[in-house]
Amino acid sequence: MTSEPIISTHNLNLWYNDTHALQSISISISKNQVTALIGPSGCGKSTLLRCFNRLNDLIDCVRITGEILLDNENIHAAGTDVVMLRKKVGMVFQKPNPFPKSVYENVAYGPRVHGVKNKSELDTIVEQSLHDAALWDEVRDRLNDSALGLSGGQQQRLCIARTLAVEPEVILMDEPCSALDPIATAKIEKLIDTLKMDYTVIIVTHNMQQAARVSDYTGFMYLGKLVEFGQTNQIFENPQEDLTENYITGRFG
Amino acid sequence: MSEKFHNELKALKQDTTEMVRFARDMLNESVYALIRQDSAKALQVLSKKNHIREVTITLEDRTYQLIALYQPMAKDMRVITCTLKMITAAERIGRYGKDIAEMVKPLHDQPDFEQPLPISLMAEQVLEMIDDVIVAFETENLEAIKDFSSRDDTVDAMWHSVFREMLTFMMENPKTITRSTYYIMVARYLERSGDHACKMAENIHYMVTGERIEIK
Repeated sequence: MTSEPIISTHNLNLWYNDTHALQSISISISKNQVTALIGPSGCGKSTLLRCFNRLNDLIDCVRITGEILLDNENIHAAGTDVVMLRKKVGMVFQKPNPFPKSVYENVAYGPRVHGVKNKSELDTIVEQSLHDAALWDEVRDRLNDSALGLSGGQQQRLCIARTLAVEPEVILMDEPCSALDPIATAKIEKLIDTLKMDYTVIIVTHNMQQAARVSDYTGFMYLGKLVEFGQTNQIFENPQEDLTENYITGRFG
Repeated sequence: MSEKFHNELKALKQDTTEMVRFARDMLNESVYALIRQDSAKALQVLSKKNHIREVTITLEDRTYQLIALYQPMAKDMRVITCTLKMITAAERIGRYGKDIAEMVKPLHDQPDFEQPLPISLMAEQVLEMIDDVIVAFETENLEAIKDFSSRDDTVDAMWHSVFREMLTFMMENPKTITRSTYYIMVARYLERSGDHACKMAENIHYMVTGERIEIK
């Protein structure tokens, strides 16, 4: 079931001042697969996720060594266009964060920034993105209403649509369902399953059942280290490391 | 929450062990009753059939609740699934005990064989296998079940031997047909119980190691 890697890290280390938050992480993320990162709070899973589109650059005290390759190119190489990188590697956050604009404008924002001016072209992108985010049927009649009037689950799918609008290769999701109710969560999980046909998804979640349900591969992190990485069913049925076993059976964490 | 779950899982495992032991005793006592023509003992076994049914339902319900409430994973998940299968196998073994006990009365007036049969030896083999299953399930040490394949072969050979012997008796003396037929069924039940012991051993192996094996 392994497919070619789209992102890989080699001996990746990250420090927040003196805190060694990621320690020698080497991981290979398969294309068109869903990869889940699990682990207790503070283990570094969100930090690792934010490395993939260089969001950690925005934090002053961060220092990174090692290599991160996207499509076999080092994302820290001189001359890397970070805006283009973040177009290729989109991100959805824990709390839905739509812009205080209309539903339409939220989705059209990214393509506009990247130079799409033609109205009919934008219309097509907006409709397609909302379709792909399984939101179109719910908002087709209220495209000009404020996005802030949508429910939490709809707002989160709008944020996914906004990410899809710039045609990323990879979608990073940092606890995308933790602020949502079970029904909205189920919709996002179903969506993740369809998204992998066209995109690569990396999801950070505290909810282990969710990781087990949605992902093809799972990485367990603890104290900044990637303790175990493998196919999801293997990790949840028969983990090889005692730490993984103890965490997923609730003996700590 | 985790501590509560693990305490409940531990208790479930202990009670399942008790159930397997109870079923094993039913089988043991039924064979004893059959060989000694002990009707009182047979009645004792028959009186246990409701209990094994009730325990089966209670333990299964507890298992379903643990799955529904805690969605166990990894080793916990394997313990739960193994436990469920142990409950099913134990119920079957208990019911074979009941079925054998039911034969004691109709066989009472039937002429007995002139020579001893390997039934008690066969029962001994099967009961030892069940005992070792209990040890492995309780201690999670697989040593006791490591040679189940050859032990099952021995039981199978005994079953075929009883079958052939009974056929011979029936051909030689039609008056033995009733008893012979019943004994073939007893041997068959014992052979099935041996198979259940093997299945339980396979499940225990999966529970402990996460790897599947096949005991042939």
